[in-house]
Amino acid sequence: MNDVTGPWTCPFCPLLCDSFGVDVGPHGALSLAGSDCPRAAAALTRFSDKAAVSSPAVLGRPCDLETAVAKAAALLAASRQPLFGGLGTDAAGARALYTLACATGAICDPAQGSALMQGVRALQDRGGFSTTLAELRTRADLVLCFGGLPAARYPEFFARAGLAKDDARVLVLAEGADGADHFDAASQLAALVEGRPVPCAAAPLRAAAARLQAARYAVLVYETAQLGPHGALVIEMLQRTVATLNRRTRAAALALGGADGAATVNQVFTWLSGLPLRSRAGVHGLEHEPLSFDAVRLCADGAVDLLLWVASFGTEPAPPDGVLPRIVLGHPMLAAAAADVFIPVATPGIGSDGHLFRTDGVVLMPLHAVRADTLPTVADVLRRLSSALGPPQ
Amino acid sequence: MSTLRIRGGHVVDPQHGDDAPRDLFVRDGRIVAPLPGVDEEVDDDIDATGCVVMAGGIDMHTHIGGGKVNLARMLLPEDHRNNPPRPPSALELASCGGCVPGTLLTGYRYVQMGYTAAFEPAMVAANARHAHMEMGDTPILDHGAYVMLGNDELFLEMLARGDDFQHIRDYAGWVINASKAMGVKVVNPAGISAFKFNQRKLDVDEAQVHWQVTPRQVLQTLARALHELGVPHPLHVHGSNLGVAGNIESTLQTIQALEGLPAHLTHIQFHAYGKEGPKKFSSAALQLAEAVNANPNISIDVGQIMFGQTVTASGDTMRQHAQSGLANPRKWVGMDIENEAGCGIVPFRYREQSYVNALQWAIGLEIFLLVNDPWRVVLTTDHPNGGPFTSYPHLIRLLMDRSFRNEQLARLHPDVAANAALRSITRELTLSEIATMTRAAPARLLGLRDRGHLGVGAAADVVLYRDAADREAMFSTPEYVFKDGALVARAGRITAVPVGGSHFVEPDYDRGIEKRLRKHFAAHGQVNFDHVAIGRDELCSCCNGGRLLPTACFEGRTT
Repeated sequence: MNDVTGPWTCPFCPLLCDSFGVDVGPHGALSLAGSDCPRAAAALTRFSDKAAVSSPAVLGRPCDLETAVAKAAALLAASRQPLFGGLGTDAAGARALYTLACATGAICDPAQGSALMQGVRALQDRGGFSTTLAELRTRADLVLCFGGLPAARYPEFFARAGLAKDDARVLVLAEGADGADHFDAASQLAALVEGRPVPCAAAPLRAAAARLQAARYAVLVYETAQLGPHGALVIEMLQRTVATLNRRTRAAALALGGADGAATVNQVFTWLSGLPLRSRAGVHGLEHEPLSFDAVRLCADGAVDLLLWVASFGTEPAPPDGVLPRIVLGHPMLAAAAADVFIPVATPGIGSDGHLFRTDGVVLMPLHAVRADTLPTVADVLRRLSSALGPPQ
Repeated sequence: MSTLRIRGGHVVDPQHGDDAPRDLFVRDGRIVAPLPGVDEEVDDDIDATGCVVMAGGIDMHTHIGGGKVNLARMLLPEDHRNNPPRPPSALELASCGGCVPGTLLTGYRYVQMGYTAAFEPAMVAANARHAHMEMGDTPILDHGAYVMLGNDELFLEMLARGDDFQHIRDYAGWVINASKAMGVKVVNPAGISAFKFNQRKLDVDEAQVHWQVTPRQVLQTLARALHELGVPHPLHVHGSNLGVAGNIESTLQTIQALEGLPAHLTHIQFHAYGKEGPKKFSSAALQLAEAVNANPNISIDVGQIMFGQTVTASGDTMRQHAQSGLANPRKWVGMDIENEAGCGIVPFRYREQSYVNALQWAIGLEIFLLVNDPWRVVLTTDHPNGGPFTSYPHLIRLLMDRSFRNEQLARLHPDVAANAALRSITRELTLSEIATMTRAAPARLLGLRDRGHLGVGAAADVVLYRDAADREAMFSTPEYVFKDGALVARAGRITAVPVGGSHFVEPDYDRGIEKRLRKHFAAHGQVNFDHVAIGRDELCSCCNGGRLLPTACFEGRTT
């Protein structure tokens, strides 16, 4: 890691750990150093394959970047309603993506957009009170993990939170429950914390409510993606608990989610346009439709006629199957995704520098390249695409 | 290198005492002296007859970028669904919003009104990269930010332990450098931290429940630190007990606590309330103005309120939580942030028929009109907290036109309309006073030597307003706006979208403090210490490649 400009920031989950590193092998293979995080280790294996295609391709035939950009621009120009999906990029990529979205009237929805929108909609409807990782680590005397321990998907969470594996401050509720059970548990908890009688409430819920009321600073942790299709309602109930507690003691929530650039692109689009994702700059101005601008639904309904898929962090999320013409800007191993146009791009934090938002939405972490990479960044390619399209009409 | 002449305009430049017609010459982005045989040299000639010519406006306290602003946007899609029509020029990208517009629209709207710089007053160090990115995505405007100190646990711990003042000063110097800030703001001194420990109120001489330090100590320490570091903008103070009836007492104690050290008291309207009268809520504008008039170390901005929908976005979690029951619409966001800060976002609708809101409106105007020295009063609405910045032309008319002001007053809650001291104030601000409060004074308070005036060598941020009796119309849509010599707006239409520059200061400090900070971050932080500081190259990329505009510090002074 000779020319690394700072500590490595792991780009593969929204905790964005920067306390461990990467070893670069003789042939450019990467391995994790100083951590046994399975999520990071698995992600790094996708950067060891020297045989991966690193040339752009049109209809599977390798070509130069200019040819691929020209073909992609022609597809975008001919599209009546493009969809920008995946959105696996960093802040610079998001800035460039917005310009192109304005020029083409594209609808933008990230992979896992439904999970992202649960949090957005809960905020839009009721607001909420949240906290950050450093506050949790310094202050929390009770950490309620709603829906289960986050360790399975966020292996470094306990270390970051300063919690032991069997820490007495940790309390788990509604583990393994489904969406409806989540709602029941969250709403009963909210009522118990308010001091209302809830005859049907189970003993663990009653105990949890009592511990929350007794805590000085309680943090309610949840993974948005695990809360089901009506997660916004569950979040609203958890936030009601937080609001009730804050009348007498202190409490806050911490949501885990927004991986693969989703939270970052959402932040950037919100500041540029004023509206979060699932929006488009259409003929009637900006439109924001948190339910109907769902990429999966739009594809299924045939409501879009072109897919631009961005996935610079790995082979997942892969573009959905389907018959739509597609442009893919992605990890070299996504060449197999049968795109009309495929352009391999650098991964922020591996082949290029960049910036990503941490899960609490406060810290915008700097990312550094760990090896020299000849691939263009997502922002480079999108800027070329925008200029190939010309100024808006 | 082409030369532009702006011919025959009424130049209002308070810094040079100009208030009369004269020609102005611009070359290479700067104001230049007239050259002999000038007619041959001039490439562009603008007839400014009938126009008032001022330097570009500078908003030194406007929440335009960073985490809480973006949370406010996310909280209020209804503010954005009421879309403006399609962009009027191909140069503008789609962006929308009324009280918290997207950054793109923020830049366009400010420039269309003749503003060329805006400063974000509440940057959280942990969120600094984000704040700089939003400001970099605010087109055309130059920008900068004040970093928040005085509620971070390390500062409070150092103060509580009685650490050497020099260490605290060096820490402040390090934070300013690391976050690329233009100054330091303290919000509810020690109060944001106090709320995390469940303290709900904190007076100037009350001990913070955990660290047992008082707001007075925090104010004195920070004001002295900035003074010794030579930071041109003095401590930017959001005082204790914002919005509380009777808080004039805290405000006067705050002024006293500063012991003559320079400080800028911000959105002072929200801190100038008495508790007289049947409703136990009264104007303390006169008391405040007397204190400001008597203390030349103090400058203020007003934070005027404007009737209608807005959203209050503040670092003051303690006060925002207390006010959250008044949210309209009924939702709000709060956050405890990284052991150093907080934020609270409460949507609010100021109503003419509300006694409290009507009085707040009158108090703001009274402060503008009762403080004698316009060089120490800056025109703000604390955007968006008192109202959106787009209401500035209306505010200017209220200040310049007494009959218009009294017409508006007559529409308000009858008790306020009948009894406000404002009714009897006859002062009408002059163009020169408006130019002082909207450009010359903020430039001077920030240490921007080449902005805010039209002297030779100044940056050619120049605005031409068509002189009109209706000052609101006049200040809404200038005929020409130049930014660094380039025409950026013509009669309300954006004509160019250069990336704005980034103002910051780099005070000197003893780097020995970094050893201690490294330990602190390892124990309490969530970011590797080597990732905390933003270098110049990274600032440039965050700010979209805009120019870096470091402002010189004074020679460090010890008191």
